[in-house]
Amino acid sequence: MRMRALFAVPGVPPLASMAFLLVIWQMASLAFGQSAFPPATQALRALPGLFQDPGTYTNLGASLWRMGAGFILALVVAVPVGLVMGRSRRVAGFLSPILTAVYPIPKAALMPILMLWVGIGDLSKVLVIFLGVSLPLVYHSYEGARAVDEKLIWSARAMGAGPVQRALRVILPAALPDVLLGCRTGLAMALILMITSEMIVRQSGAGNILFNSLDMAQYDNVYAMIVVLGALGVLLDLAFEQVRRRLMFWADTKVEPLPPT
Amino acid sequence: MMRALKAGLARAYSLALLLAAWEIVSRSGIANPQTLPSPSLVFAQLAQALFDVQFLHHFAQTTIRLVCGLTIATVLGVGLGLGAATWPLGGRLLEPLMRLLAPSPKIALYPALILILGFDHASKIALVAADTLFPILLSTYYGARLVERKLIWSAQAAGTSPMDCALRVILPAALPSVLTGFRVAVVISCVVVFLAEMITSTDGLGHLLIRAARSFKTLDMFVPLVTISLLGLGLDAAVAMARKRLLVGYPDQR
Repeated sequence: MRMRALFAVPGVPPLASMAFLLVIWQMASLAFGQSAFPPATQALRALPGLFQDPGTYTNLGASLWRMGAGFILALVVAVPVGLVMGRSRRVAGFLSPILTAVYPIPKAALMPILMLWVGIGDLSKVLVIFLGVSLPLVYHSYEGARAVDEKLIWSARAMGAGPVQRALRVILPAALPDVLLGCRTGLAMALILMITSEMIVRQSGAGNILFNSLDMAQYDNVYAMIVVLGALGVLLDLAFEQVRRRLMFWADTKVEPLPPT
Repeated sequence: MMRALKAGLARAYSLALLLAAWEIVSRSGIANPQTLPSPSLVFAQLAQALFDVQFLHHFAQTTIRLVCGLTIATVLGVGLGLGAATWPLGGRLLEPLMRLLAPSPKIALYPALILILGFDHASKIALVAADTLFPILLSTYYGARLVERKLIWSAQAAGTSPMDCALRVILPAALPSVLTGFRVAVVISCVVVFLAEMITSTDGLGHLLIRAARSFKTLDMFVPLVTISLLGLGLDAAVAMARKRLLVGYPDQR
């Protein structure tokens, strides 16, 4: 009963689970006793050093820039496509086989091929992120637009709303919960693709720091960077949840299931 | 069966159009065939590779990693999910942990896994397991929590032990949700194993792509990529079919 009361305090469960993970890490590392698996305390001590290095900021900045660019590009392209698919059976029939075929392709694996086409600059990485984020966004926008209550659209039309007005003021708001669900999955996807693309083509970025530290046997830095990236994932998710609540204040706040990664 | 196939083909006309456009772009020289080989060449090369012992060896390595990782994730995910859904304190402990771990990018763990488990199979299997665990765990947990309480009560009233109750009442009732999570996990496993092999490996399909990229053999780059995508599509379709079989008689099938 006391446990239950403690866990009801906001902020306690995440902190408790963080502490739990750190304790597990510490114990596992002490049990292994290898220099390649430093204890949590030692890795966390490498964090300040990591953030004193200006290179960390330029790398992380480059990563986040590409991620943001890819995500916004996907938002601009994929949401309208998904909404149109949801309202037009012909468009949906045309696009969904292509999307199904594209879905299992490992997007980050396109890096070497894209680099042949667009060069070795940022563009190939931005494109990979764009592709990966687009799929969940199109899918969820499609589902959202398809489920819009026909009566809403009929009444808007009866009141003289044109197609553009109907799309922006009826369909988009009605589909917004689904679109935002797609955004959440897309955000997780963008972070994964950002790191993966940098691990495959190591030029700059967070993935580059990880493997450079690995190559130089700076094991504490490897683990510290993993902590940073994990925290980044959680923070982005929390921030997005805040934005979602702002946007969805008018809808019934149902208990949101966790993103399906 | 034939009719279903024909209907499927009629529906996939856009895919055929896309492939045709790709073929034309590549053959006509609008795009350099050196950087964009035509699909007919890619599939011819793939057909040849299927009789190549070397290629089959790489394919087998990838499949072993994929299956092992997915199996570990399924056992752990379903077990933990059921446990947490039936044991209230377990759920209270697991839920914040999942909230913390699910949105963090598991691929970032890969360097650590290499350091701890080595360059061989183990690190790749562990990464696949880590990445596929959460879709299975989450769908099991939320599916099991939504199971009609009356089913569980009546089983308990009939004297069913908690273990039996979890395996013979809750698991079957949560099966639609579990299988949805599993289906997501299957495609993720294909993607992750391929990427792990691209990042560091000496064998596997992902390694084949990187090796071809190093020597600018574009045709050979497309072959492993198409193979893993087809594997993903095939497994996804297989799970979808199995799901339909297994869920005969269930109420709302989504």
